[in-house]
Amino acid sequence: MKKIKRREFIQLSALASGGLLVVGVAPSEGGEQKIVNLVNGGQSLNQFISIGTDNHVILYNHRPEMGQGTFESMPMVLAEELEVDINNVEIRPSEANESLYGSQMVVGSRSVQSEFMILRKMGAAARTMLVAAAAQKWSVPETECSAKAGMVVHESGMQVTYGELVETASKMKAPENPKLKDPKSFTIIGKSTRRQDIPVKTNGKAIFGIDVKVPGMKYACIEHCPVWLGKIGSYDKNAALKVPGVTHVEETQRTVWGRKVDAVAVLGDNYWSAMQGKKALNVQWDDNGLGGINSATIVNQFREEAKKSGEVLHSVGDTESVFQRGGTMVEASYELPYQAHVPMEPMNVVVNMTENAAEFWGSTQHPNGVRTFLSTKYGIPRENIRINYTFMGGGFGRRSMTDVVEEAADLSLKINAPVKLIWPREEDQTQGPFRNCSLNVCRAVLNSEGNIEALEHKIVTQEINNQTGDNNKAGRQIMGGVTTEYQIPNMTVRGVLQKLHIPISYWRAVYHSTNPFAHESFIDELAFKAGKDPLEFRMSMMQNHERYNRLLNETARITNWRSGKRPGTGRGVALVERSGAHFVMVVEVQKKEGLIRPVKVTTVIDVGICVNPDTVKAQVEGSVIMGLGAVYAGLTVNNGRIVEQNFDRYPILKFNQCPEIETHILESTNAPDGAGEAGLPTIAPAFANAIFDLTGRRIRKLPMTQEDLKA
Amino acid sequence: MASIQLRINGGIHTLDVDPQMPLLWAIRDFAGLTGTKFGCGIGQCGACTVHLDGVAVKSCTLPVSVVQGKSITTIEGLSPDQSHPLQQAWIEEQVPQCGYCQSGQIMTAAALLKKNPRPSDKEVSNAMSGVYCRCGTYPRIKKAITKAITLSKS
Repeated sequence: MKKIKRREFIQLSALASGGLLVVGVAPSEGGEQKIVNLVNGGQSLNQFISIGTDNHVILYNHRPEMGQGTFESMPMVLAEELEVDINNVEIRPSEANESLYGSQMVVGSRSVQSEFMILRKMGAAARTMLVAAAAQKWSVPETECSAKAGMVVHESGMQVTYGELVETASKMKAPENPKLKDPKSFTIIGKSTRRQDIPVKTNGKAIFGIDVKVPGMKYACIEHCPVWLGKIGSYDKNAALKVPGVTHVEETQRTVWGRKVDAVAVLGDNYWSAMQGKKALNVQWDDNGLGGINSATIVNQFREEAKKSGEVLHSVGDTESVFQRGGTMVEASYELPYQAHVPMEPMNVVVNMTENAAEFWGSTQHPNGVRTFLSTKYGIPRENIRINYTFMGGGFGRRSMTDVVEEAADLSLKINAPVKLIWPREEDQTQGPFRNCSLNVCRAVLNSEGNIEALEHKIVTQEINNQTGDNNKAGRQIMGGVTTEYQIPNMTVRGVLQKLHIPISYWRAVYHSTNPFAHESFIDELAFKAGKDPLEFRMSMMQNHERYNRLLNETARITNWRSGKRPGTGRGVALVERSGAHFVMVVEVQKKEGLIRPVKVTTVIDVGICVNPDTVKAQVEGSVIMGLGAVYAGLTVNNGRIVEQNFDRYPILKFNQCPEIETHILESTNAPDGAGEAGLPTIAPAFANAIFDLTGRRIRKLPMTQEDLKA
Repeated sequence: MASIQLRINGGIHTLDVDPQMPLLWAIRDFAGLTGTKFGCGIGQCGACTVHLDGVAVKSCTLPVSVVQGKSITTIEGLSPDQSHPLQQAWIEEQVPQCGYCQSGQIMTAAALLKKNPRPSDKEVSNAMSGVYCRCGTYPRIKKAITKAITLSKS
């Protein structure tokens, strides 16, 4: 506590004396971010970089942290250009403020990718101003001065700290296009750096949304109809109110993709009371005629729909006429289930609605989206809405939505007090929105040399961007993860859009979490049919693709692919591009204790410039593990309800199921790609391909069953 | 409601609560220690793991009435200055991603090492498989436990 107070004091005194260098970005009219000098602009808050007269450097990170590690990697980029020691700065989360920071939404592995250049410019602008201040102080040309480790140094050997320069520098106009460092001289970017957010995550001090407590707050527990879009029938309000600690029972609503979903909430002085009150409610739900749906009816519907030609989403050559000519036709269908996000921190928010103002605290992937939502729905001026984002206990796409905020805001208005709404795990797991389920039908013709002459991949699924309304045409969104880079002379991707009342949403890697299972399994089936090695087969179709070609060659080398597999093992390979990152993965399986298990996962990756390699490796490990969890478990619909209500029925991957994971990052000077998801798409197909290699059993349906995995 | 006395991290907390209230909520909502997390409420995921007389227990299903008089340790009380070998090793190996489950992971590992300072891989695996991590930090947890064993020896 003492330390924080001291820092606050320093910042305040620095502000008071004007000894504070502030540089910010503001989106210009065209949406492009522009460097502005915020001190000259009269704004002394919401900055990216501040330096106290005592040399204390604070870097503001404007992207919420959910485990992806940008808490460190974004400031690393600033520090690189600013020329300060990244291990000797303080990193603070910035305020949620889109007029200063542009989008602060953390989705699609975009943060490093989209902010890399602007953060470099930010750091470089500040450095340029400091150098100019030193040159002025010494009355020497700026060209004779350079910045290094928090100091400006003159050719003669004179040196001065940033702290001594900030007062002068802060009065200078920020350069619009500062000179950036030559990437060859990077000393921070590309070096594994310890994350500053990690120590507080080992001692219980990290504050997540669920830990927030505000004065006068009531705790809310909630129940939704187990059948999605069901209606409230009856409930025993008095029984709930009799539970000690329960203060209110209120109905509420959330909106998911335009549809209103009803719920009943119980509020009280502590969460346990609210939970007990919820039990006492004994809500009788009206399933709204939707209780007859189950996984089998959905799959049957999808199979029937697969007979339709659907929309052409991608086309090269003339697949249809090759199919009509005939030849060695190979055909296979693949099925994947719905999945839940289940971040370890259950969905929760704290909202306080007051007269013409609102305040939010919590775990969100989209802080400014929360502001927009509250402002639009309740007509509150944006400037009267305060957004306090915290560390997130995982997000995986689920926390990009505002549905839980809507319920809490409504409850806060109804009871006229701040409300902390926590969804029990059962609600989190059964209410969605879910990762889509999918049927993928693949067909191909091999020519006499065993090369693919034509390939069609038809995707039968729901589309996140088109879940309601009259447009029944499939859009390109649903073909995410279908590799179109293979040199196949005739290739078509088709989509047959499905509309169901069951809501879907973005889940780590999105459609890249479904389609590659089909596509990369099918490529493997074709290789087998052609009598070719699956890695060489892929290489032969990627010779003109610089990045994949290099990755495949490196993969062969690193895994000793050409030396053959180790006795008693099977090997499978798969590749994908996600958010610009290119990945090739090899899974090795073995029979152990009656089951076929993945023992080693080797991934060779090209993510462009890799800012913090250790974080990228952690993301690959996490993606592999989440993807492997989705190989072993999925959600089942029965009588309109999700069967797997909690972790006992929907086990995410456990410690003892985790294979050895090895990640090789290839050097690159290209702009950074997004590395937070690309490890997920390939694990299912590479694993299935390895099982085939070991046993000859081809698995085309997820989750895999005990029978599939039997040794 | 009943008056319940809890000994948490060496301090006595007197709470007027439902005796059936799980220890988790007493720790979080009444004692104000938020390092112990709610994950599933059915004793499955281990995010709520604390020590009861030195043994790892899942606090989300344990009524406060049965823990009276016992010594409860939460992540906040694991070491006076966050210098437990596991906490050091967790930083060395850069284990946490989102960090939410890590109190449960560390408390589970700490109870294991207290009972068995040199556990086998199998023993580590058995103990740690009861604590879920959605971010997938298991490979690093494994390395960190190995490192902590070394740190404890030195």
